[in-house]
Amino acid sequence: MSTEEGLSTLCGSALGRYLYEKASLVLMILDESGRILDANRYASELVGQELRGRLFSQVVIDFSGRFDFKEVIEPDERVHLLNMTSSNGLPQTLYFSFLRQHGRVLVVAEHNHLEVEELRKSFIDLNADFSNLNRALQKRNVELSRVNEVKNYFLSMAAHDLRNPVSAICTLSDFLSDEAAGKLEAKQANFIAAIQKSSRFMLNLLDELLDIARIEAGRLEINKRPSDISALVAECVELNRVLAGKRGITVDLLAPSAALPSIDLDAVKIQQVVHNLISNAIRYSPDDSTVTVGIAMRGEAVEVSVSDHGPGIPADELEKLYKPFSRTSVKPLDGEKSTGLGLAIAHKIVLEHRGKAWVESVVGKGSTFYFSLPLQPAEKKGELR
Amino acid sequence: MISEALYQAYLGALLRGERSRCVDLTKRLLEDDDVAVRDLYLDLFQRALYEVGHLWETNRISVATEHTATAITEGLLTLAYPKIFMSERKGKRALVSCMVNEYHQVGGKMVADIFELNGWDGYFAGGNTPVSDLLLEIEEKEPDILALSVSVYFNMGALYGALERIMKDHPELKIIVGGQAFQWGGSDIGQRYPGVDYVPSIHHLETLLKEYEH
Repeated sequence: MSTEEGLSTLCGSALGRYLYEKASLVLMILDESGRILDANRYASELVGQELRGRLFSQVVIDFSGRFDFKEVIEPDERVHLLNMTSSNGLPQTLYFSFLRQHGRVLVVAEHNHLEVEELRKSFIDLNADFSNLNRALQKRNVELSRVNEVKNYFLSMAAHDLRNPVSAICTLSDFLSDEAAGKLEAKQANFIAAIQKSSRFMLNLLDELLDIARIEAGRLEINKRPSDISALVAECVELNRVLAGKRGITVDLLAPSAALPSIDLDAVKIQQVVHNLISNAIRYSPDDSTVTVGIAMRGEAVEVSVSDHGPGIPADELEKLYKPFSRTSVKPLDGEKSTGLGLAIAHKIVLEHRGKAWVESVVGKGSTFYFSLPLQPAEKKGELR
Repeated sequence: MISEALYQAYLGALLRGERSRCVDLTKRLLEDDDVAVRDLYLDLFQRALYEVGHLWETNRISVATEHTATAITEGLLTLAYPKIFMSERKGKRALVSCMVNEYHQVGGKMVADIFELNGWDGYFAGGNTPVSDLLLEIEEKEPDILALSVSVYFNMGALYGALERIMKDHPELKIIVGGQAFQWGGSDIGQRYPGVDYVPSIHHLETLLKEYEH
């Protein structure tokens, strides 16, 4: 095979015509300076442009900057792995041989088809694996959502059907306790007090279960109206002072003297949050200690904090505080049981207001629970939670 | 109802490897035309894949084109999943699997989806599943029916080997077999392995399921 007169010489034979027109093989003839004198159809189509007249180094992608044409055409019969530019923008890795003859360089380059086949097989396997995982995931999601629906239905039904009789027990035991049905002996009064305590706990638990069921079912309704959050917090503090006073606990309110801006919020729900935080703080506070409620502007948000001098919460338990039905190892000091739902509900309510809730705690010193609400809903400012 | 014109447009796009065009056409059928998933599977996906397979077998397209068409179809199945998995449940489970070295898994996966459409939980163990993995899946899923798919006749030996192991460990398990490989032979498998049923089509499968449910 002569390279003296370019690839047109090759075309004189049937094999030559095949190589020039049809073969999936890169063929080029270069002069000794590396300029392309001729190229077959496959090479031109692969690169996507006219090759004649260009330097070979212009069609090679040289990431290292060390490509040396003189070196690759050394007559050592080595095969060189080089990347070429291609019409679809993806570099093509080919195995190049440089054959020198009569002052010309015949360049022959080809893909390694075993390598390409291996790649294709890998992609097929990968696609099959992803597609199977996708199917399993979608199936599992539907199964989980079915289980969740059943759970919510059960929660809601149980809470509704239990609430009325428990509420009746609560109210009637209040009547008995107030001696509306006649004077009680000491022993009877003790029994009635136990019934009152248990039925109140159950009523509270059922109300919280109903809240959780609504939240889980995505039916927590938030009715926002412009509200004075300072007044709302102050009202909660006042109500809880009665509860705190029984154990000699003082509830202090630290509020700025200047009025805070009005915020769009659901007053009933936010009062539920504040009440939950303050009543928790009282429950976990030692007798005759102080609970401090703070309210302050923090940038574009109003921050409410509730601090106690209780036992504090171990760091590794902080994460589960806002999960429904989770309880920490810390026990309330008022002897009452905890439902494990209050903080989860409070957290959801704050999130529904596009606010944030968090806690700082030091074991042996106490805890501070915070929540903040944006002055404007985040979506109006183009923010995401 | 899938029109011939739409089918031809889909097949053309599939053969050209135009995934997004195939996605558009499938979405149009599912969302705008409200075509039943079963019709989509049988009259579009299955019909097109059979035609692609025939084109490859008659050397009119390359194996690369056939693989691309299969990969695109696998992706399209996911568009129907929200409808498939929401079907009313019947409390029955099926495990569908392909044999070891059997990489043509889309048929098996479609069968698993047909189980879902019929209210069964259709679990798909995947292509190229060694019999040891399959036995573990049987232990875990405890299926009412095990369906084994073979696309390439060359893999019939693997099927026989798997049947012997599975029938030894789970003699009570109902086993059905199917797939394109059986067009070359082996449909009398019930004589070789009593209790094993060859199911030649989705229609036969659904008839069998109804009988089995009663």
